[in-house]
Formats: sequence, C-alpha cells, structure tokens
Amino acid sequence: MKLYEFEAGDLFRQEGIPVPHFIVADSPPQARRAAEKIGVPVVVKAQVLTGGRGLAGGVQSAESPQQAEEIARRILKSSVRGLTVNRVMVVEKAEVAREFYLGVTIDGLTGKVVVILSTAGGVAIEDTARNHPEMVVSRQVSISAGLSLPEAKEMAQEARLDGDESARIAGILHKLYLVFRKYDALIAEINPLARTVRGDYLALDAKLEIDDSSLFRHQDLTLSAEDPLASPLEKKGRQIGVTYVELDGEIAIVSSGAGLAMATMDIIGRRYRPANFLETGGGISEELLYNVMELVMQKKGLKAVFLNLLAGINPIHEGAKGIVRFLREHPPDIPIVARALGNRQEEIWQILKEGGVEVVADVATEKSVDYLFRRLEETR
Amino acid sequence: MSILLNRETKVLVQGITGRVGRAQTKWMLEYGTNIVAGVTPGKGGEMVEGVPVYDSVAQAVAGSGAEASVFFVPPAAVKDAARETIDAGVDFIVVVTERVPVHDAMEIKDYASDRGVRLLGPTSAGIITPGEAKMGIMPGNMFQPGRIGVISRSGTLAYEVCLNLAAAGMGQSTALGMGADPVAFTSLSDLLAFFDADPGTDQVVIIGEVGGTQEEHAARFIADRMTKPVVAYIAGRSVPEGKRMGHAGAIVQGDTGTTRSKINALQKAGVAVTEYPGDVAKLVKKRLGQQ
Repeated sequence: MKLYEFEAGDLFRQEGIPVPHFIVADSPPQARRAAEKIGVPVVVKAQVLTGGRGLAGGVQSAESPQQAEEIARRILKSSVRGLTVNRVMVVEKAEVAREFYLGVTIDGLTGKVVVILSTAGGVAIEDTARNHPEMVVSRQVSISAGLSLPEAKEMAQEARLDGDESARIAGILHKLYLVFRKYDALIAEINPLARTVRGDYLALDAKLEIDDSSLFRHQDLTLSAEDPLASPLEKKGRQIGVTYVELDGEIAIVSSGAGLAMATMDIIGRRYRPANFLETGGGISEELLYNVMELVMQKKGLKAVFLNLLAGINPIHEGAKGIVRFLREHPPDIPIVARALGNRQEEIWQILKEGGVEVVADVATEKSVDYLFRRLEETR
Repeated sequence: MSILLNRETKVLVQGITGRVGRAQTKWMLEYGTNIVAGVTPGKGGEMVEGVPVYDSVAQAVAGSGAEASVFFVPPAAVKDAARETIDAGVDFIVVVTERVPVHDAMEIKDYASDRGVRLLGPTSAGIITPGEAKMGIMPGNMFQPGRIGVISRSGTLAYEVCLNLAAAGMGQSTALGMGADPVAFTSLSDLLAFFDADPGTDQVVIIGEVGGTQEEHAARFIADRMTKPVVAYIAGRSVPEGKRMGHAGAIVQGDTGTTRSKINALQKAGVAVTEYPGDVAKLVKKRLGQQ
C-alpha cells in the first residue's frame, strides 16, 4: 500500500525525521488559509501516488496566500499522470543549499535490506546509479541485525560527507531505517533530503509503501481508505475475494491461478487483447464463480469470456454451478468458452454444457484458445 | 531419484487441525506421503486422518522423528512457527501460506540460512515427487513419475506444463513451487543446483513469471555451473507496469521484473525459452532426442 506524501510525512515526523511545516488542503480557500498560517513563500504539492509530479505541473511555488489559492484551484480536481488530485499539501518553502537521497528497500533475491545514500538528491536513484555510481553508497544489511547508527555513520563517511553534515545525515538515515522496519515497508525514501541555507536538514519529500500482507499489525494507522490506483471493477474484485486487474481489451479471462491467468493472457494476446486478469485463488465455490461471472461481464466491449480452470484441490464442479446459474439469469450475447481439466472433469463438462458454456478440454491452453479464435472469426 | 522429498521422508503437518490442513493431510496421505505427525498448539492428543497431533514441534519431532514440515498455518503465525520448527531440528520446510509479511519472510530466511535449513515459499504450491510423496497442495493427478525436474513460481502453471509433459510421455523427478512472493526463501539458482546434482534428473524446466530478478540471477548460475539442459517459460509478457498480478511478487516496476529482461538473460545462458507454456514439452523432448 502506497502512502500519500502527507501521510508518510506525518509518520516520518513522528519518528523524529525533520519534515517541513505543512498543512493538507482539499479546497482552494483552505490552501490560502494554510499559506497564511505557515507564512509565504510556500510550495503547493498535488497529492497523487505517482512520481514525476513536478514535471507534470503538480508542484508549484506561491509567493502569497492568494497565489496559493489560485494554484490550488488549478491543481485540485485536475489530473496528474492520469490520477485525479483530491488534496494538495501546502508546505513551507525551504531555501536549499544541497540535496541528498536517502532510501531503504528490499533486495528480493538475497532477502536483505538495501540502504542507500546518495549525494545527488532530487533525481531518480536509478539514474544516479547508472550515470554517477561514485555518488551512491549502498549497503545490504540483514533484517535480523538491522542498521545500527555506527553503520549509518560509516555510510555517510563513505559518501565523503564531512563532520557535522555526516553526523546529521547518518542520524536521519538511521531513523529512516527504523521507519522502514516499524511499518513493514517495502520502500522508505526521502528524495530529496535538503540542507537549507540556514543549515537545517529537511525531508522535502516522503515516500513510504507498506507491505499489504503486514496490514493486520498496523491497524492503528489511520490512512486514507480510498485506493485511487484501483478501478471500480478492481475494487469489486477485492470485495468478492479475487484478484481482478482491469486491462484494455475485449476478451475476459477467468483462471484458477495467477500463473495460469498470466499465461492465458499471453496466449490470447496472439490475436486479441485481454480485458482483464482474474485469479480465483484456492477458494472456489458456487457463490464465488457466480460473483466472478457477474464481475467480468460488466466490462464494456467484451467479445468473449474465456475460463481456464484446472481442477486440483479446487472444487471446480461446485464453481461450475455458479457459472451456469449466472448465465441462466443473464443470457450472454457473446461466446463463453471454458477449458476445464482435472478432478471430476466429466461432471464439470456436463454442468457447463447444459448451461450453454462451450467446453474445450485440450491438454494445452493454446489449443483451447485456438478454438476461441475460430469462434470469434465465425461470429464476425 | 528426486530432490528434497521421497517416499521415506518423515513429514510433519503444521496447522493440521485447520480446514485446509485437514483436507490436505488426507490428500497427501492418499498419495502415499509418509506423514508421521501433526502440530496445532492446544490440540495435542487429537488424531487427524489417523495422524497423531502434538502441541509443539519439539514434541512432534521427539515422538515421531519428523524431518520435514509443511505449513498450513495463518500468515501472522508463520514466523514463530518457522523458528520453532528450525529449533526442533527439522531441516526442510514448505510454507504454503500466502500473505506472509515480507519482513517476516526475510527474518525467517536469515534464521534458516544461519542453521542450514532449506525452505520453500512463502506462497509455495508445495513439492511433489511423483509416485512417491507430496507436501503442499499440488494435485497428484497432474504429475507423472519421470526424469524432468520442474521449478515453478506458480502452482497452476506447473500443473499446466506437467500435464503437457505427461501427454508427451515425460514425467517429473520432482516438481516444486518456489513461491510467488517478493522474497523467496530459496533462490532459483539453489534449486537448480539440487536438480543438477540429482542422478534421477535429466533436464530442468523453469516456469517463471514477471517480477523480481530470480531468473536473471539464475541465468548466471546456468552459464557458469549448470551441466544439465534447461528449458524455460516466463509468463506475463502482456502484464502492465505497476500492477500486482495475483502473486505478491508478480509486478513489473520500471524496467525491473519484465519478461524481456528474464528471457534475454536466460537465452544468453543457453536456455531454450518458449513463447507459450505448451511448447515446453516439445523443447524438452527435442533436447532429450539430442542427448
């Protein structure tokens, strides 16, 4: 789960990371009052879960409260990189003398934590690593041991920071590690961390993504409940307990597993575009597949539904009844093709056929998809 | 021959009294798995499908000699259960549980590697040595005994490929799910090394998918050390950037985790990479003909 900058900023501040004074506003007058309270100049920042906001015009300075209101009026409800802006953050403007990058993330291969410090702030760390590797210091630490303050200091020295600066930045890096650990983060990042002309250090951005699987132990976190990254159909998928990813095509896919669903997308992609990814997981029941059919059929512009079901431990004979019940109640005007193999396959085929589903049973998905392609050629 | 599991392996089932644990224990026993004990704290003394249940792993190991364990425990309990199991001397653990916190998985990986314990998962479909034994949720009827090693991130795609191998007259020495999370307990390279050393395996099939860098790293191992031929299929070339595709680890982030990067790396290492899963059996057969 990705946090908004203002949410991450709050958590960073709670853990002792210096964050500039800010107020969140969801209307232009609120933005003006925020600017009055903070004192100009301020920066008005669109709160959207995407990088590159600055280039997209989502980050602008205001010299007066009126200007902050005008900027907020332009930005609020506008779209930054395809995402609607519902809030802006009004932030005290810092005069920056030098910028740094601080990040903590995970190396999936080694299972270690990667701590990164760069003397090039405000740019993507991937670019710095590619173009100026000498400006990047990184270290893998075991999550059991953690990153100690002395280790953070070693990293700061390795980055050739001197005396006071080295100590200050090491302290913030260490705190960022603690935030990463405390909140089960997949990534915690400050880009940039600024030294101001007055000699203060301030996190001018705050990025935090929390591992969804860990949310059961972070229920005290009050985060904005809405997920702007999910479409209405994707949210519906979550409600019924399946993973539905909406795509831009015309063939709906239903599969009994994630890997098989991706492979089915690949195969259908030879001639058509998948309308969605859908994985049922291991909990197939009559009710679930009824709901699944209802969900995938809501997508506009469908030409067919292709179900790819391998019956192992999943009671697909139960699920088949749900598919058929939905189709009886909502007779489709497009082909519904199902490939089903495995436990009780004869029973599954019979239920589906009687309910008007076209059943295919090839050992390879490709062959069954070829049947679907032929059907679509016929109906054209 | 096989890797990590055979008909003699004494298997423990953790979370055996839960709905899934109970059902899976029945399937595993029917398949021939030598299940010697189960553990559910507070349920010691019960029997599930004729298997004695203990309160703790230490008691189960003392009472039954269990040497491998399969987990059907809830995600929040996996970390403590893994420590307990490792401390009790079990040296092979299969974590079927999905949605284990990534930080917990990292802690478990550290703890296990310090003590020489091998784990599969999290989100592993399990491991099956066809005709002998299985730990996990893989359906026995989709696998045949034979000489092809199969390593898969996903469960269902392993079934698909093994059905196709069987239709072409080829079975598996062992097939396993390495897990589909951002952090896997055992790397693809390490699993390849097991198959390379197994006299019962002639070729290895990798069924990968978008996300992470396991395949890229394994390509280096294959180029430098692997002696047996490898065939691979990588699922998800039409996956959009930034979307998790069912599996926690199946996500393309920027240039990382794309099928293109994985396929390029594997092909450079001499791996025969197929465009579609059904072609895996054809390529395996072709290579067998050349040997």
